[in-house]
Amino acid sequence: MIEVEQLSKAYGSTIAISNVSFKVEPGEILGFLGPNGAGKTTTMRILAGYLPATSGTARIADHEVHLNSMAVRQNIGYLPETPPLYQDMTVEAFLYFVARIKGLPIGDRAKQVTSAIERCNLSEKRNVLIRKLSKGFRQRVGIAQAIVHDPPVIILDEPTVGLDPKQIIDVRNLIKSLAGQHTIILSTHILPEVSMTCDRITIINRGHIVATDTPDNLTARLAGQLGYAIEIAGDQAQARAVLTKLPQVESVKSLSDEGIAKNHHRFQVIAATDEDPGSAIAEAIVDAHLSLYELSRNRVSLEDVFIDLTTEEPAMAATPALTSITETTADTPPSLSDSDE
Amino acid sequence: MNSIVTVISNILAIYRRELQSYFASPLAYGIATIFWLLAGFLLVILVFGPQGILAQSAFADQAGLQSAPLDLPYEFTQFYLGLLGSLAMFILPALSMGLYTEERKQGTLELLATSPIANWAVALGKLLGVVTFFLTMVLPLLVLESLIVGASDPPFDLQLLFLGHAGLILLAASVLSLGMFISSLTESTVLAAILTFALVLVLFVVEGVADGIPGPIGEAIGHLSLLKHYNNFTQGVFDISGLILFLSYVVLGLFLTAQSIEAFRFQRS
Repeated sequence: MIEVEQLSKAYGSTIAISNVSFKVEPGEILGFLGPNGAGKTTTMRILAGYLPATSGTARIADHEVHLNSMAVRQNIGYLPETPPLYQDMTVEAFLYFVARIKGLPIGDRAKQVTSAIERCNLSEKRNVLIRKLSKGFRQRVGIAQAIVHDPPVIILDEPTVGLDPKQIIDVRNLIKSLAGQHTIILSTHILPEVSMTCDRITIINRGHIVATDTPDNLTARLAGQLGYAIEIAGDQAQARAVLTKLPQVESVKSLSDEGIAKNHHRFQVIAATDEDPGSAIAEAIVDAHLSLYELSRNRVSLEDVFIDLTTEEPAMAATPALTSITETTADTPPSLSDSDE
Repeated sequence: MNSIVTVISNILAIYRRELQSYFASPLAYGIATIFWLLAGFLLVILVFGPQGILAQSAFADQAGLQSAPLDLPYEFTQFYLGLLGSLAMFILPALSMGLYTEERKQGTLELLATSPIANWAVALGKLLGVVTFFLTMVLPLLVLESLIVGASDPPFDLQLLFLGHAGLILLAASVLSLGMFISSLTESTVLAAILTFALVLVLFVVEGVADGIPGPIGEAIGHLSLLKHYNNFTQGVFDISGLILFLSYVVLGLFLTAQSIEAFRFQRS
């Protein structure tokens, strides 16, 4: 339904996105995850036909978004970063206006507007001027205008910004209920959002796609992927070599030595298989005549992976907090970590 | 066929929204109030003032110049509509300044640009909306005028009056269309108003400038003058070239607006 190939966009000499490619199947919800300034909004705007790409193609419902803009516009509902609202209109009048410019037949307008108002929980604000609404309600009117004409493809740029926790849950449920008949792409920098609502996740950073996978796949792939935080005393290079050599270990990552005793080093390893590598690690370290000070089992949470994938510096802060994060966010699937120094 | 219906319904949607926003805007009422006050003041001065037509008429009576009666209704129409035209040219930039700047500020341009509606249709709907609002600003003045027309002896030439007002609306549509283009260039409402005002001033004095330039060039520039053609209308001269000039300004404004919105969206850098 949405096919993006080698999409790039430069603003002058600044490259906003570079060679972005992904696909969204009909009825699927794709989460577009990235830190602020990663190029999410630029991608959304290109998809909606608001901005042209510098190179590459994006197709929605088999229409190129730039060359065949009108056909694409008929097929999308779009919530921009700032909800596009006329301050001097009431909620209902505004939605009627949107229904008209989206080309909804006269007979369907009342039904669709009412349905959008109900789905976004705006019934009590129906006749209130948009200017007088709080940020959360405005955001919901923004979502309502994106779905009022029942488009096959819905593009949502940060749909839950400015909402309180209960509203966030409502909006997530709303988005989930739209899946199936609608193809949805939503961008966010909030992790639980994608893992809870999306069928697949694409992580973008500094304009590059870092990873794309389904949360299920990620969970499945990483369920057995245990990690260990290790603190040793001795030669860092030797320790690294010893750990890397172990067949049970997929990756080894040095962590910051800050705040620990001199000549002590810390590592984060990720297990390669379901087999718990704990005893093997301990044995190998002792055999190599290194002193083992800490060996604690952990799981890498999606949060850590996200920070890891999207920051240049090694994500050192991970280890001490890791176990507790794992406990509190037991539901969030851990994710891939192929990062290796 | 279906697409024509869609386009018309799109234009109507934009038109209704634009008109609705004028009637919901305190600023628009403020502008209208100033316009009514000044126009009413002009009318009163023209009729009752020391140099007004009543005073002139009384003077003519006293001097016993019965042999060459002044066509006072004609003079009044010409003076009054001329001044109204000048006044309108200063008021109109305030009406057109927010047409696109507000869309940009509210982010609604992004909604319009991603909806199945052509740029020119948006521009046309907006222009129709603001011209209609100006029309409603002129309507109350007709009440004042009708008092004078009704009391006048000799009677007014109604055709002349109608032509004058039609000219006023055409003049307004031209200025508003160009003002709309200027408002599409910037995000600042104030800047849009100032630039439109400057453009109006240029179109105001262009006749004077053209007089100084000899030959066909000066003549050609002189034809661009809005006020010159408007004055033809108020004098009861319906010239096709004036109508074409006004409509050209309107179409030019629409075209440039659609192009500038397109360029704003598709600036490849």
